[in-house]
Amino acid sequence: MRRELHFDAVVIGAGTAGLTAGARLAEAGARVAVLTKGVGSTHLAPGTVDVLGYAPERVSEPGRALEDLVRSRVDHPYALVGRGCVVEALQWFGERVAAGPFPGYRYVGGLERNHLLPTAIGALRPSALIPETMAAGDCAAGGASAARVCVVGVRALRDFHPALCAANLERAGVDARSVELNLALDRADQNALGVARRFDDPGWRAWFCAELSPHLRGEERVGLPAMLGSTDPHGVWSDLGRRLGRPVFEIPTLPPSVPGMRLFEVLRSSLRAAGGRLILGAEVVGAERSGERVSSVQAHAAGEERRYLARWVVLATGGFASGAIELDSRWVTRERVLGLPVRGAPGADEPRFVSTYLDEQPLARAGVAVTGDLRAEGVENVLVAGAALPGAAAWREGSGEGIALATGFRAAEVVSEAEGARAGQPGRSEAVV
Amino acid sequence: MSTEAGSGLRDDELPGLLRGSLDHCVKCTICETACPVSNVTPLFPGPKYCGPQAERYRVADEPSVEWSVDYCSGCGICTQVCPQGVKIAEINAQARNKIKREHGVALRDRIITRPTVLGRLGTPVAPVANLSLRLRPARILAEKLLGVHREAPAPRFAGRRFSRWAKRHTSPRTGRKVVYFHGCGTEYYEPWEGEKVVALLEHNGFEVEVPKQDCCGLPLQSSGLFDDARRTVLRLARALAPFVRDDDTIIVGNATSCTLMLKREAREILGLADDPALKRVSERTWDICELLLDLHDRGELRTDFRPVNETIAYHAPCQQQGHFIGKPALDLLALIPGLEVREMTARCCGVAGTYGLKAEKYEIAMKAGDALFTQIRASGAPSVACDSETCRWQITHATGRPSVHPIDYLHRAYGL
Amino acid sequence: MVTLTTDVLVIGGGATGAGVAWDAALRGLEVVLVDRSDLAEGTSGRFHGLVHSGGRYAVKDPPAAEECVVENRVLRRIAADNIEDTGGFFVTTPWDDAGYADRFADACRATGIDCEEISPAQALREEPRLNPRVSRVFRVPDANIDVWKTVWSLARGARERGAHVMPYHAAVAVHRDGDEVTGARVRDMRTGEETDVRARVTVNAAGAWAGQIAELAGIEGVRILPGRGIMIAMNHRLVNTVINRCQMPTDGDILVPIRTVSVIGTTDEHTDDPDDHTVLQSEVDAMLDDGEKLVPGFRQARALRVWTGVRPLFEDAKAAETLTRDITRSHALLDHAQRDGVGGFLTITGGKLTTFRLMAEHTVDAACAQLGEPRACTTASEPLPGSETQRSYRLGERLERKEAHLREEQLICECEMVTRGALEEAIRRSRTANLDDIRRLLRLGMGPCQGGFCMYRAAGILHGLDGLGAEEANTALLEFLQERWKGIWPILYGDQLRQVRLDDWIFQGVLDVAHLSA
Repeated sequence: MRRELHFDAVVIGAGTAGLTAGARLAEAGARVAVLTKGVGSTHLAPGTVDVLGYAPERVSEPGRALEDLVRSRVDHPYALVGRGCVVEALQWFGERVAAGPFPGYRYVGGLERNHLLPTAIGALRPSALIPETMAAGDCAAGGASAARVCVVGVRALRDFHPALCAANLERAGVDARSVELNLALDRADQNALGVARRFDDPGWRAWFCAELSPHLRGEERVGLPAMLGSTDPHGVWSDLGRRLGRPVFEIPTLPPSVPGMRLFEVLRSSLRAAGGRLILGAEVVGAERSGERVSSVQAHAAGEERRYLARWVVLATGGFASGAIELDSRWVTRERVLGLPVRGAPGADEPRFVSTYLDEQPLARAGVAVTGDLRAEGVENVLVAGAALPGAAAWREGSGEGIALATGFRAAEVVSEAEGARAGQPGRSEAVV
Repeated sequence: MSTEAGSGLRDDELPGLLRGSLDHCVKCTICETACPVSNVTPLFPGPKYCGPQAERYRVADEPSVEWSVDYCSGCGICTQVCPQGVKIAEINAQARNKIKREHGVALRDRIITRPTVLGRLGTPVAPVANLSLRLRPARILAEKLLGVHREAPAPRFAGRRFSRWAKRHTSPRTGRKVVYFHGCGTEYYEPWEGEKVVALLEHNGFEVEVPKQDCCGLPLQSSGLFDDARRTVLRLARALAPFVRDDDTIIVGNATSCTLMLKREAREILGLADDPALKRVSERTWDICELLLDLHDRGELRTDFRPVNETIAYHAPCQQQGHFIGKPALDLLALIPGLEVREMTARCCGVAGTYGLKAEKYEIAMKAGDALFTQIRASGAPSVACDSETCRWQITHATGRPSVHPIDYLHRAYGL
Repeated sequence: MVTLTTDVLVIGGGATGAGVAWDAALRGLEVVLVDRSDLAEGTSGRFHGLVHSGGRYAVKDPPAAEECVVENRVLRRIAADNIEDTGGFFVTTPWDDAGYADRFADACRATGIDCEEISPAQALREEPRLNPRVSRVFRVPDANIDVWKTVWSLARGARERGAHVMPYHAAVAVHRDGDEVTGARVRDMRTGEETDVRARVTVNAAGAWAGQIAELAGIEGVRILPGRGIMIAMNHRLVNTVINRCQMPTDGDILVPIRTVSVIGTTDEHTDDPDDHTVLQSEVDAMLDDGEKLVPGFRQARALRVWTGVRPLFEDAKAAETLTRDITRSHALLDHAQRDGVGGFLTITGGKLTTFRLMAEHTVDAACAQLGEPRACTTASEPLPGSETQRSYRLGERLERKEAHLREEQLICECEMVTRGALEEAIRRSRTANLDDIRRLLRLGMGPCQGGFCMYRAAGILHGLDGLGAEEANTALLEFLQERWKGIWPILYGDQLRQVRLDDWIFQGVLDVAHLSA
């Protein structure tokens, strides 16, 4: 017996793009396996859905700026999927959060306007769709509140420095001050997740609030590092707001990202709920082509590699950060998983990087070459989603999660449409039961 | 430095590739989010710290300078979740082994890592052995003398051995042979599980062969006794390999941690990648649920299931996740009409084979499993399905709920 | 303007200058040491860290080899805490002249280098990643040295004996009183304040910049031919023994395990400007190819960072204009009273780090002669502060220390195991807000993530501790990121590119530092 598994679609990668594509496909009735080498980008990102933050000036109305971008940069991932798809994807995501594993937890906002959220160093970061637990931190004109921000940290958490955060907020014109609590934790090196687990415990929350309350004054809103609970964020956040008697909000900080992990859990459970399989540790190490199609992929497993045969492959492996696109020591850029052609990489004699760190790096927009409907060039049945796509500089633009969500969503639609056309049933996969 | 006759490998000559994998680490903390041990105790500084980080400070011929890595339970979750391909658990295992080489191994670890010896001693005197394993004074004594925690979950000797049953049992000749690797848990503690596996396989048209077999060496390996582990696993590989006569014959096992040892850990952690018998066995070994779901996906699994009107919690143990095959049990159980399965998302029960038995680690193991125990209690499911026997014992010990291998439900649903 | 009066003014705070200050202070002289930048920020801090056994020079330059033999032993005694006894191999690879090995062995015997030939199989047992195709292997007493730590120890020792050590003070004028140099005017590069230093003897220990200082003193013709060399730090120790190619010295022929990394070096390109830090892609490519010859798979291993150092090679009539490696490595001590008829002024340049103590000894001997006060040198027997126990450094020390304080000490830089306590103390003691200076003091941000995780933490601590405004903390952070980037981008590929993308994710995404309010 050989290890061969048959699916309608195989998704490679379990970041936002891959899980979205996988969940959507499974919801449409397809038999889906999401293969992933490990847990990915979600755990490192702030957990917000940034659609478009800078273009290159700060964007206040992302929906409108998106329209301009779609018109002016035809190579941009957003131009491939269109504004309408972004709207639908955000809508879909919001519903999945609401139906997800965290009772009461929800995202707020949309394409109408960007929130301006304090970062851990006190810059103001534009974001479109954000967890409710961050909403009170919005410092945009006409945002949540004009009340003073009190940034609260815990000294044992090396990943958050409230005084610096507050001082920079002041410089940005936000009335802010800081409090650092010196609470004893059982260890020196604690990250946000470790503290979040403590917040799960109502007793600890009560004690924390009792420690903090004497330091609070007037009408302040309270900003804490994003660590309000690992299992019941809505409950923890609401409870803190009640106990402190004022608005409370989370400020994303260094990885691991607690809100990012929630986002992962929302998408993962959507995939599972629709019957999709998630296979961790299944690094894809090869593929078989027949003509213009990829007929199967080989994935790592203990003992012996497994072949996954599928009619469709969604490549959502990420970009340079995950190593899915690699620049090797001979300065060759390649897509490592399926060996697909890369677009947007500087030529052999052109600079790949420039000497100023914060300038845009020429290599940044490289990605897997695709046609207009996200199909990899030269391959009929491989769709590309997320950071593997060329044309975006996600962090400079503040567009990473928006692109991941929209292109993952769109990739699933392309599959469903094609399968529907094949089966003579528009929009539905033949595998629907 | 001892030389291992069977493998020709010296402990200090383990593959540089494991160490080399530390180059892939980007410090992203994902392993830290998933580590069941560092999340509950400050005694273990975590997989990133002990693995790729500390490894840069280790020099092969200098003595170990840290002990905290010994608190790693070896569950392997860190390696599973790492998006960059760092062999974190394996690096930690090497570091633990180095400490054992330098400082020797506790008597306790020499005893509890040998299930075969324990099983042979305990089986004939099962009533007495089982009683003494439950008598408090005996347990206190065992804790004092050996460092086996008095509360730690102890299995009951079945008083009979699976292999004896298998010898008497004749599988109907179908020509479609499968080799059954049952492991020590089935042999000495849960022989009925083995009988169910055989029944399931036969129900689906397989002719089951049960070779004479022994321990896979995993407990030895996870306690850092690499030399003994190598000897043991190679003996097993040599016992099984002759039965894999052609490319169609496979080995199937229900002890998910032992099949993982055969598939991967012996080759990667013990550096036995090139042993031909082990390689053959490793490539041909399947987890029972992996096999059954695969049959189903091909349309070859019988689905004459009767309803089982129950709600169960399913926990995929760490070692099962280490197969990198997803959670086939979930999809199999979903085939049974009436059965409602709640997937537990907490990753680990804490016991990690023998880790949770050790006096100094019992409390940590219980805390590490607490998230899972809480989920199980909250699930409302009166019983639990789980692929690994030591995890089942731990879960039952901690939650009071009965726990069985997922195939028990398939067996019931088939009405066998 | 403040005026300081001293016996000896040393211009240049590299290993040589700090060595001169330490030597002179030990002899009871008053000393002022100045550097335009931080100590050991120039050539000293930009080399691979090898304490030569002498093997490299055995065939080509036996006197230099003999100096190394002696100084290697002395350094192990006096700077034990800064030196790790790695030992070294000279290996004949398939690319090397096979006949050189016997000449090498003979030359080692002749120059007193403790050299033992071992079988390639033995070498591979000790260093499994070494190229298995090596045909001859010689074991020599190479070692590595933490040069920053050494220079701080020298400076600390000098300070404890009354010396003024003034980093970030550039000599802007050298005072002449007729045929005498009488000191210099120095400017604080951070505040712009100037200080007049009146000295009985001024030592020009500016290394590759010595010609510029001599010109300030009105002395012509001190020509330094800077030789630029690149070095690449690999993410972990590919080897634990120094590996040298057994051949006439050339590019890319040394791989040095030092602290948590291994450094391959180096090249040698003539440059006119000692501040030239260009890294050419062709140099990087050549160095990676050379690494592959020593350790197969080198190109798949992770390169962390590249930097250049500029050798101060004093021009010699024999030297061809462009090929700097043939210029003698032995140092040049110029007594300008003899050479130019200008008293009170000495220039010490050339040489190599292994022999810095000897250079300092010769220089202070000459200074004493000028002062007419012969005083005996004691640096060959006096241990540096921190090295009194004579126990040599082991790589596991930081791990061992952290293990002992697992629950109390917070790690700020996880890669290099820099604790919060150590960071706070360094900030207080050095009174600097420059995170790059702290980096050299503590190795902060020098590991795999290159500051990705620790720089926000460090900026936060700096801000809280030093009473600095947010603006200064932001500047410290941004300058550090830029400074790091300089050494990263010319060699950015493979694993390090993933790291950089995650770091971008943190700084440009999560923290959005590019949009901090100006």
